[in-house]
This record gives sequence, C-alpha cells and structure tokens, in this order.
Amino acid sequence: MSSHRLKFRIALGLLILIVVQSLSAGEIQRCAVDDAGQELCVAAPAQRIVTLSPGATELMFAAGAGDQVVAVVAYSDYPPAALKLPSVGNHTRIDMEALLALKPDLVITWVTGNLPAQIELLHELGLSTFAIEPRTFEGVSGVIERLAILAGTEQEGFVEAERFRVGIATLLERYRNAEPISVFYQVWEQPLMTINNEHLIGKVLQLCGGVNVFGDMPRLIPRISAEVVLQADPHVILTASVDGASDDQLDRWKSYSTLRAVARNNLFFVPASPISRPTPRLLEATRLVCETLDIARERV
Amino acid sequence: MIRPLFTLGGLAIAAVLLALAWGSVNVPAFDLWQVIQGEGSALNRTLILDLRLPRTLAAFATGGLLAVAGALMQVLLRNPLADPYILGLSGGAAVGALLAMLAGMGTLLISGSAFAGAMLAILLVFGLAHGTGSWTPSRLLLTGVVVAAGWGAVITLMLAITPSYKLPGMLYWLMGDVSYARTPWPALVVLVVSIVLIMPLARNLNVLARGPMQAAALGVSVRPLEWTVYLFAGLLTATAVTTAGSIGFVGLIVPHMLRLVLGNDQRIILPASALAGGTLLVLADTLARTVVAPEQLPVGVITALLGVPMFLYLLHRSR
Repeated sequence: MSSHRLKFRIALGLLILIVVQSLSAGEIQRCAVDDAGQELCVAAPAQRIVTLSPGATELMFAAGAGDQVVAVVAYSDYPPAALKLPSVGNHTRIDMEALLALKPDLVITWVTGNLPAQIELLHELGLSTFAIEPRTFEGVSGVIERLAILAGTEQEGFVEAERFRVGIATLLERYRNAEPISVFYQVWEQPLMTINNEHLIGKVLQLCGGVNVFGDMPRLIPRISAEVVLQADPHVILTASVDGASDDQLDRWKSYSTLRAVARNNLFFVPASPISRPTPRLLEATRLVCETLDIARERV
Repeated sequence: MIRPLFTLGGLAIAAVLLALAWGSVNVPAFDLWQVIQGEGSALNRTLILDLRLPRTLAAFATGGLLAVAGALMQVLLRNPLADPYILGLSGGAAVGALLAMLAGMGTLLISGSAFAGAMLAILLVFGLAHGTGSWTPSRLLLTGVVVAAGWGAVITLMLAITPSYKLPGMLYWLMGDVSYARTPWPALVVLVVSIVLIMPLARNLNVLARGPMQAAALGVSVRPLEWTVYLFAGLLTATAVTTAGSIGFVGLIVPHMLRLVLGNDQRIILPASALAGGTLLVLADTLARTVVAPEQLPVGVITALLGVPMFLYLLHRSR
C-alpha cells in the first residue's frame, strides 16, 4: 500500500508540474513555499545550491540533490560526501565574497539560525533564498519534497520523503499505546536548558509516549533551574552527546539520590546530530528514543 | 605641519586600495583596475563595488569617527584614559540596538534605535552631571562611568532573557562588526562635516588643554566650548556605534599614538586622528575577513592585536 501511495504522490507531483507547464507557455515553473511563507519559483532546476545550515545540507542530499550543492557551512558533516564541499563560514557568520564567487542560483537559509542582517544582504545582492525550519515530522518530509522540486530531483526526493513518512507512521502505530513516562530532556548543562512540546525533540518524546515535564512552558528552549527539575522528579533524564557515548553532562544529577531517574539509573544519552537536526536521520533517532524509553519503563 | 597629514592621507589611500584588492576571493590588480574604470566582470564588480567598497568606506569612517571622538574626550576631560565610550554612549546605543533585535526589527530600525539610545545616553549624563554650581570634568566622568555601568547591567539582563537563537546576532553587534553597515555615506558625511566644523575650535582646544582657569584667563569661553566639544564627541561616537557596533581600542589608542609622534597640537591631532583611525580600522577589518577565511573574525580583536604592539613600540621609542 505504501508504494501505491508513493506512486500516487510522484504522479501528483508530476501532474502539477505538467499542469503548470501548460499554463505558462513553454517553461516548467517549479514553485515551492518556504517555511517563512515566501513562495519561490525557479525556471529550471537549481544546479548551484549553497546550504547555510548543517541540517539543510543533509536535507539537500536526502532530496537527491547532493551533486548540485556547491558549498556548505561549518559542521556540515553528514553525509560524508558533504565533508568534501567547500565552506562559506558558519551559519551565523557567512563569508559573502566566497559565497558570491561560487555564483549560486539557490541559497537554502535557516529561518531562526541565520542572522537577519546577512539574509537581507543576500536579497540585496539578488540571490534567490529558500528558508527552511521544519517543526514537525510532516514538516521534515514536506521540506524534502519541496527541495526536490526546486532541485529537479523529484524521483529520489519523493521516495526519501515517503520512506521517512512511513517510518514515522510505523513508529506512531507501535508506540500509540505505550505507557506514559515522564521525561526531562537536557539540551545543555550550563545554563540548564530544555525544550517544550513545540520543539521537534518534544514531538519525538511525545511519539514515544514520553511526557516532557517542561512541555507546557511558553518558550521553545527554556532556561530553567535545577530546583524545578527536582520538583518535577522525572522518571527519565535524557541528553545528547557525540555519538551517544556517555559523558559527564548528567553527572550533576547523580548527587541527588532522591531523583527517581537517578535511583532507577534512567539517565540516558542519545547521538546529538540525528536528534537535533530536522533530517531523515530523525527517524533513527526517534526509534532509538522509543527503545530507550522502553528500557526505562522496565526499570521503573 | 601639513606634511604629517599628507603622509597619513597617503597611508589611508593605500589602506583603502589594499582592502579593495584583498578578500577571500582573489581579485588580481588588473581586474581591480578594470572595475575602477567601470568595466570588469559582473562578479568582480559585485565583489568590489557592492561588498568591499561600502564595507571599507564604512570601516574608514567608523575608525575616523572613533579616533576623533577619543581625541576630543581626552582634551575635554583632561584625562589620558578617556575614550569615546567612557560616558556610557556605547551602552545606551547597545541597549537601543538590542531592544530592536529582541523585537525582531530590521537593520534600519536597529540602527535608528542604536542612535536614539546613544542620544538618550548623552542627554542623561549631561543632565545628571549638570547639577548646581560647577560642572567639572571629574563630575562628568564620575556620572558617565556610573551610568555606563547601569547600561552594562541592562545589557546583561537583556542577554540573559533573550531566546537562544537571537544571542549570536546580539553578541556580534556588541563585539563590533563592520559588515553590519549597509551604507557608509551617513558616517562619512558626519566625519567630514565634523572635522570641518571643529577645526576652527582646535586652537581654543589647545588652550583648554592647559586647564579651565588658564583658558578663561586667556579669553576662551570655557563652558560653551566644553558643551560644544561634548556634543560633537557624542555625535561622532553615536554615528560610529550606529554604523558598526561598539568597536573598542581605536578611540583610546590612536590619539595617543599620534601624540607620541606628532606632539599635542589639536590642529594636527584632530585631522590626523581621523586619517589614522580610519586607516587602522580598514586594515583591521581587511585582516578580520581574510586571515582565517571563510571564518570571519570580529574586527575589535584585530584592532587590539595590531594596535597594542604598535603603541608599545611608539611608547618605547619616545623615551
């Protein structure tokens, strides 16, 4: 059934393109709306793409357009092919000259991560930009499809988006009736930061049956004190580290033996990049978090 | 008296040309010459005329503004440690800019807000220091330092409560960043007009540097002169900070470097400060954007790294 849905989606996408082509004399207009609400139409598939965030780099490769990316920014470390691409600085300080010299026809920006002043400069210099920032699972698959349309790689892109969609749906089905378990996700140790339910990581926790003890806070990434964590007394404390290896980020909690998470040894690490970036690797990250919460449920 | 100014002028032009020629993209001298003549490839024209030229001119104007403001402050307060920010001007501008960033406003409003903050800071210190009776430099200094500390506290508070993704932009503004400047013309115009207007007062400033009593005895109207100089220095600093954030070091050190070489005649020091300050900041900015390209360094780091050894050398040589 999933391959039928996939074929339907590809057919629909191509149908839309054909319809648009018949309306505009001769040229296929590839249009997509970005996550800032702006519509971008390109006359031909973008061949020289610059990605201004590590997540955008991964998404571009996932959309099948890795060969069309000419430059990335620092920390664009996945997939390994991206390491060979030249860098134009980092997402907060872009080297405009290096970017211009590559003569890009499309720049993928990050809504909240790139500095507004630099985006304004890109527009003043006449570059086409497409801003992305997926906030939901559907947002991730949707952005892969939109990038594939702009890059002309619908074949691979729609397949990858569908794979992600199906994977998430499977996990959703499997963990729909999981017993709720309270979780505290530690983004950073000093200052102590966490995420609310609007954040993509918050959605991962929700899918796995985790109840984010700070899910209802108004800020996306609140800064909190140790006291409120002790008061909330979560069953699980989760944080991210390089490759998911245990490090010292959760050591401060070990001294509070009254914490349920500490008493039951429910302090876990997950790999940082897959869970922090809105890319297909989020599927694997979600699977891992769900399995981790299952282990925690055994111990409670 | 004019010769040092010609030398400095030559250095300034050389620095600007160097800044146009250097960048993370290599533009050979021949191509640069073509662009100056109005031809050249579209990419080179964009690089030189849309990116490097406005940035270089903004850096020159900012450096000049800060150096002249520093020189004026040092004369006004008769204190060698005075710099343009000593009276809390950069703090007020920073609060204005950060508030605008917090509210998500565009670059133009951020600059406007910074300027308004700086003006507010000037009026605040001026009003508080006025008091009854004498209005001495030390009273002004104390008021300014305390108000600056107040602004610093407000800035720290704003940094603490702002959402994480807005922090990098705010920090870069506080460190000083010439790439913020969209257009160099307001800063250049203010610099040129200010120099032209302040030069007639330079002679009186020489007298004022000896002390208010002596100046008054020699026929200088001290109060109006001090107010004028204070407002000028404030306007220059406000323009500089609005253009490129709070870049440190230039305003404090450049006038001293020039005094070690050229003596303390304000008629030379003021225009020389404009030229030397501009040159220093242009060179620093060129290095900041090329030395570890594509990574971009904040210009304030480079000004200190360049200026400290230079100053120590001049100080050593003058003994």
